[in-house]
Amino acid sequence: MTPSDHSDPSDPGDAGFGPGLGGGFGAGAGPYGARRLSPRVLLIDPIRLLPSLFLPLAGVLLVGGFSPASFGWAALAVVASAVYAVVRWATFTYDLTGDRLELTRAFIGRTAKTIPLERIRGIDITEPPLHRLLGLAVLKIDTGAGGNDQEGTLDAVTMEQARALRTALLARRPATPVPAEATGPTDTGPEATEPGVTAGAGPEPSGPERAGRVLARVPRRWLRYGPLSGAYLLTPFALAAGAAGLVFQWGEELGLTERSARQALEWVWAHPLLLVAVGALLLTAMPIVGAVMYAIFNWDFTLRTRDGYLVAERGLLTRRTVSLERRRIRGYEMTEALFERWAGVVRLWAVVTGLGDSATRGQLLPVTPKAFATGVASEAVEPFVTPLRPHPPRARQRRLVRAIVPWLVLAAVAFALGWAVAGVVALGLAVLGIPLGLDRYRGLGHAYDGAWLSVRSGSLRRVQAVVERRAVVGWTLRQTAFQRLAGLITVTAGVGAGSGGYPAIDTGETQGVEFAAEVTPDWLHPFLTDPPPPPGDPSQGR
Amino acid sequence: MLWLIEALIGFVLLVGGAVMVAGWIGPDWKIVPGWLSGNVWILPVAAGAVMLPFVIIEPLWRYAVHRWELSGDVVYARSGWLSREWVFVPVSRIQTVDKAQGWFERALGLATVEIRTASHAGSSTIKGLDYEVAARLAEELARRAQELRDDAT
Repeated sequence: MTPSDHSDPSDPGDAGFGPGLGGGFGAGAGPYGARRLSPRVLLIDPIRLLPSLFLPLAGVLLVGGFSPASFGWAALAVVASAVYAVVRWATFTYDLTGDRLELTRAFIGRTAKTIPLERIRGIDITEPPLHRLLGLAVLKIDTGAGGNDQEGTLDAVTMEQARALRTALLARRPATPVPAEATGPTDTGPEATEPGVTAGAGPEPSGPERAGRVLARVPRRWLRYGPLSGAYLLTPFALAAGAAGLVFQWGEELGLTERSARQALEWVWAHPLLLVAVGALLLTAMPIVGAVMYAIFNWDFTLRTRDGYLVAERGLLTRRTVSLERRRIRGYEMTEALFERWAGVVRLWAVVTGLGDSATRGQLLPVTPKAFATGVASEAVEPFVTPLRPHPPRARQRRLVRAIVPWLVLAAVAFALGWAVAGVVALGLAVLGIPLGLDRYRGLGHAYDGAWLSVRSGSLRRVQAVVERRAVVGWTLRQTAFQRLAGLITVTAGVGAGSGGYPAIDTGETQGVEFAAEVTPDWLHPFLTDPPPPPGDPSQGR
Repeated sequence: MLWLIEALIGFVLLVGGAVMVAGWIGPDWKIVPGWLSGNVWILPVAAGAVMLPFVIIEPLWRYAVHRWELSGDVVYARSGWLSREWVFVPVSRIQTVDKAQGWFERALGLATVEIRTASHAGSSTIKGLDYEVAARLAEELARRAQELRDDAT
């Protein structure tokens, strides 16, 4: 099923790629030569364009009847899209020169993107199903510049090229040459210098990776935890909505008139049982579809460490490989939704400086048992065992008030206006707020073990973040009027990675300041010993 | 002073908005109770009455709360009025220092210093400094930041 690479002589990338890499780049000199993307992408592009072409084509055929003229137009459109694909392919080149990667698109205008190699934060290799069939991959280069336009995308290169490029791009320090030569000849890893060796293996993802140590391989039976995350539970509804949208969009062309639509609606209303059945079907489909989607995206999740990088690989149809530079990892986030907490499972993300699309790229583990995730986190990043300090009981009151009072107010308003149903619902939510508030309070905590600090908060989605001390770029202490009355303060550690700031919510006034002062004593002490210690000072003196 | 002007403008906008809403609510609206649509002029007056004390108090309060200090290569800024915010930013982690002047700030000879780090939670804005003070602070911070630059992020 995997096409052999040297059977495709038109592929310029395969010929001599290995030597060029091992010799030329490793020596730090010598032109790598401008390259084109794999021509096999030409097979994919028209297929990708088909959906957008289909509607106009169908329209032309319907309007013009099945006459030769309309067939001519349709053929013209297909040819035009093919030509467009060829032009796009022919005008795009990439080149690895010295210490930078240049992507050039020269058609009428000319754009060149230069990426200095030391700016590369991570490499994301994605193989959508079609690409996989053809042995291709999309290589995305994360530069931390922010914005989708800012990152380099190579769509598509052969899998061997993608892997070799990744090695070349990541092993950029001249002191450490491309480590391909270091391993023995028995190694059939994908980065082996001769593509011919690996051509038979093709893009087989489960093959042993060279010099990589597997940190975690998620067994398939853990896929059953997937629906607990609630991530894909709404997929059936999205699919149904999509189908409805399609019907509306194509309705007119298929001869659906307003009258027939109304008749259909009336017919549906006349059969309420059917509606209930469809609703029930959608509801039961939720966990099933959720599980399937989750399995498709997280199939055979593997986390490796190699050459100072963490490499996460996953996916059934679309295989995705993300390499993160360990040097830039500043900590990790452990997330557990309510149901996941009951099942004792968590998800794990890395906190990486300047990582774009960190929600998907930073993921170190999908849903796994907590002990396992903790083990992986301590191996991949750093163990953190210091128990969290709880926050003062007043914080519990505040959590409770915040979980209950808004609903009470809403209920009061609803009853005052005479909307009994809404009032009862709001009252019910207020009652639910009691366990929620208590649980939120239990979730609160912070700790510092001398080099790493940790904060935790949340109930429905509880997140514990562990961040390195040197990643902290500043502190924000915030106190609302109500917090001041309760003697509480929220201390946020500003971190130039991940979500940007990690708050310790509702610490005691002195406790919070002590926490910040403990982590970075020399930043806060000048101000603490100053006559008016800033926090915990409700009057503004002077 | 700056906050007073800003608060006044906000006040005028709010009352103006209330007047517009009042004019928009015709007497024939069914959603609005009858007593209100009969006396739409109440709305702007009520808004004005409620907001007026805040217009006076808030700026004075803010002025009393706001502090900034640079010592030991850490910038400290306090802001807010009902809610307070204290920000500590070490100079070594500063990425950029901006000095900005809005219309009213120019008229009053004031300026704002914006200190940016890699994280929004570690960035701070010091408003309403005298222009010379702001210029000196920005200059000083930029110079120190260059000396102390530490590339942990």
